[in-house]
Amino acid sequence: MTAPEHTNAAEPVFSVRNLWKVFGPKADRVPANPEYAGLSAEELRARTGCTAAVRDVSFDVHKGEVFVVMGLSGSGKSTLVRCLTRLIEPTSGAVAIDGEDVLSMDKSRLRALRRHRASMVFQHFGLLPHRSVVDNVAYGLEIQGMGKAERRAKAAEVVEKVGLAGMEERRPGQLSGGQQQRVGLARALAVDPEVLLFDEPFSALDPLIRRDMQEEVIRLHREEGRTMVFITHDLSEALRLGTRIALMRDGRIVQLGTPEEIVGSPADDYVRDFVRDVAREQVMTVRTAMRPAADVAEAEAGASVAPDATVSAAIEAVARTGAPARVMEDGRCIGVVDHQGLLAVVAGLGPSDQKAVAA
Amino acid sequence: MTAAVTTPSKEKPAQRAVPGPGRLASVVRHRAGRKLLPLAVAAFVLVPLGVVLWGGGSWPAALTVDVSGPLDDANEWVIDNRESHPLFLYFLLHLSNTATDAVDAVYNGLDALGWVGFAALAVLFAWRAAGFDRRGAKTAGIAAVVFAVCGLLGMWDATLLTIALMVVAVAVASLLGIALGLAAGLSDRFHRMLRPVLDTMQVMPAFAYLLPFVLVFGTGTPAALFCTVIYAAPPMARLTALGLRGADAGVLEASASLGASGRQRLWTARLPLARKEMLLGLNQTIMMALSMVVIAALVGAGGLGEEVYSALSTVDVGKALAAGIPIVLIAVWLDRTTAAAGERIGTSVPGGSRLLHGWRAWALVAVVTAAAAAANRALLAPTWPEGWTYDISTPVNKAQDWITEHLASGVPVLGGTEVWSENFTLWVLNPLRDGLVWLPWWALLLIVAGLAWLVGTWATALTSTLALGAVGVLGVWTKSLDTLSQVIAALFVTLLLGFALGVAAARAGRFERWMRPVLDAMQTMPQFVYLIPVVALFGVTRASAIIAAVVYALPAVVRITTQGIREVDPAALEAARSLGAGSRQQLLQVQLPLARPALQLAVNQGVVLVLAVVVVGGLVGGGALGYDVVKGLSRGEMGVGMTAGAAIVCLGLVLDRLTQPGAGRSRRRHEG
Repeated sequence: MTAPEHTNAAEPVFSVRNLWKVFGPKADRVPANPEYAGLSAEELRARTGCTAAVRDVSFDVHKGEVFVVMGLSGSGKSTLVRCLTRLIEPTSGAVAIDGEDVLSMDKSRLRALRRHRASMVFQHFGLLPHRSVVDNVAYGLEIQGMGKAERRAKAAEVVEKVGLAGMEERRPGQLSGGQQQRVGLARALAVDPEVLLFDEPFSALDPLIRRDMQEEVIRLHREEGRTMVFITHDLSEALRLGTRIALMRDGRIVQLGTPEEIVGSPADDYVRDFVRDVAREQVMTVRTAMRPAADVAEAEAGASVAPDATVSAAIEAVARTGAPARVMEDGRCIGVVDHQGLLAVVAGLGPSDQKAVAA
Repeated sequence: MTAAVTTPSKEKPAQRAVPGPGRLASVVRHRAGRKLLPLAVAAFVLVPLGVVLWGGGSWPAALTVDVSGPLDDANEWVIDNRESHPLFLYFLLHLSNTATDAVDAVYNGLDALGWVGFAALAVLFAWRAAGFDRRGAKTAGIAAVVFAVCGLLGMWDATLLTIALMVVAVAVASLLGIALGLAAGLSDRFHRMLRPVLDTMQVMPAFAYLLPFVLVFGTGTPAALFCTVIYAAPPMARLTALGLRGADAGVLEASASLGASGRQRLWTARLPLARKEMLLGLNQTIMMALSMVVIAALVGAGGLGEEVYSALSTVDVGKALAAGIPIVLIAVWLDRTTAAAGERIGTSVPGGSRLLHGWRAWALVAVVTAAAAAANRALLAPTWPEGWTYDISTPVNKAQDWITEHLASGVPVLGGTEVWSENFTLWVLNPLRDGLVWLPWWALLLIVAGLAWLVGTWATALTSTLALGAVGVLGVWTKSLDTLSQVIAALFVTLLLGFALGVAAARAGRFERWMRPVLDAMQTMPQFVYLIPVVALFGVTRASAIIAAVVYALPAVVRITTQGIREVDPAALEAARSLGAGSRQQLLQVQLPLARPALQLAVNQGVVLVLAVVVVGGLVGGGALGYDVVKGLSRGEMGVGMTAGAAIVCLGLVLDRLTQPGAGRSRRRHEG
């Protein structure tokens, strides 16, 4: 989707350093002791009786990006997102929002953070069953202490924005799963937060509805440019939505990068295994597949594609013309893609292999 | 208990393989054996010691403590000091005055509405609570019929008084219950403390609650009100705590993620999510309060219970029935209204006129009631018109005479109701009682200890043995055994009938559909009411009390049995059927074994309910402990009454512990 913006963002929205969350007796001793750092999850449990859900995690979430945390169940991703607003109290480390230390906030500061700056969408919606849709959406505003008429008016706008107009007076029990999650999304949006946190929001939905909802999130992000932290166990969802993806395993981040980096140059065998079945031509961009133009003729003629276009789009262009296509940026040809380069991407040959081919 | 049945077959080869001393080892390895062996050793030492010291046979006099004397003294002290002691002047007197004033105020308020106004209030209240729609109209119709009948039977004033008592008692009990439930729902430690107290309170028969309150407050409205409150509050507390604890964690987390403070979370999420449980608690509290308000006639509550009580003491069945019918009808009205309100939660969609929802609807109820009351004032007499009553006591008494003449005895082949009850007394009750009395005291203690240990832990055994010992120490050993024999006989009959009906209902859908409304109606009726028809049919004997107990406990046993068998995993049943099991085999090999927890629960509930009524049976010739309580109440013999009350509580504890399905994990029943 949108181009990586992290390069020009001044200060990260969330800054997480060496974060640990350990469950179990005397959890404090685990992060402090370097002896435990090298142990696997099972060894650690056998040695200390503790489970480390989040282990020494550091990352920054930049303004306006969709930061996806992805991993299988039990990898600690849901715990991690709850640590950001201290719904789960971290064991050690540092979390800062706009440079302000979250872990040292007192109760009222923390409440203010949750009320105004970061709001969350949950996997199982967490709607109040006894309230109508509009009252559910207005719930966050009610907690802020806003008057009834004002908050209902504001909530009604958001309800419309997420496509639930006309259902204001229904109860959550009368809605489908997708509609309920739209209510959850609207509730989080209503307070106009700086960051939206999503905890596997679409896992409980049918595939088609899930796709709809993903489109909805993409649309919202495009329109408002709000920073989002998105937790998922679904790789295709991560690749669709993520500006950057942090891949977690056993509480650690094993790789952090753009979708293209994750798919194109997996950090280890685990990640490679993970992304093996991904349709690479839909993730990788032309920029990785191109080679310098061999001569002026090649740079002057032929179909043109953008460097951020996907490989599959370039395949289409190359297949139509039967000749290599030019990669154009700002009206200038910066390279050429041909059959060989595109096929190398589809075949999953690494960048180094490609370079070898190109050279 | 299955271990006792199934393990021997497994143990057999081991026994054969290791002869001689190995046999003892295998007994020790056996679960039941391992438990009973230390007990046997303890008994081997303690029993001869006890027999030598105090003798065998009935409970030794040396081990009794006279508590009735000091209790009588305490009672006298209370009577002497009621006007002067600061404890009364500054605390208890205020309490009792407030209670009396509150009940009087509600009664006068209801009375001021006039009969038209009150009827309008009752009908509209039922309608509003059920949702002011067509389904609610049915509830409103029930209310209209209920109060019309109350008036027709000439019980209008007594009904009003009972309702006034109920309003105050339920209000206070609910507030108390909610407060306790809130504390238990929010604090784990308080929950752990409260639970055993509530558990014990729930197995105590209503009758045992009366006396302590009479001791402190004397007979009258305050004593009746306070014991009703204490008796009725536990379900509200229990279900409020349950609702708060069972709240959807996801919703609470969502609420926290939006920055809700603790109080905001309680008001906007926790309490609303617990509404269904709390309404169920209210329903149970109301039903228990009604049951107690009626029994509290014995301590001067007045109202319908008083009418039944005085009629029963002169064996005037007609009059008792005239008061009993309104009690049953009020129970039905209250049950239907609260149940309808409970069903509405979570399903309703606001629609139609705004006037019919929320506080506006309640205001509408108030306005219409006020209008009806004003119209009543202007046009009619405030009390139910004399001419509109119908005295059923004469025809009922005639019918009862006919029954005594024709059905009680001399019916060819069948015998007759009184013949049956005589035979039951002669051939079942008397041998059972004599047998229990004949057993030496230590043997009974040993049996109880052994049984309790088998079904539970050593703690269960210790509690039950100590409780039974306490009965002996109180000096009412023989009387308690009399009561115990009645409970055992009634329980036996109840379980026989209950399991049979329950199995039949579970297997034949039509039978169940036909029986369900009957069970519903029977379960809402207060214990007291059951005595009326039983006395009409069987006269004033010990057997009558037992029959009333059976009838009272039967619905619960049938229902739990049916439910237990119905809820057996259908896959297991299907597997059995696919293997070609006949319906008898299905029942004996699959359904009953899998429904065992439910059956154990049914036994436990049966025991608790039977004991409650057997004790109330003291009013109609049951004798034994129940009669001591009645005597204590009616003649002011606090010592005798309180001793009997304490013995009832101890007996209840023993019976409850002995029937507890696996101590510790058994307490689901109150929370279901």
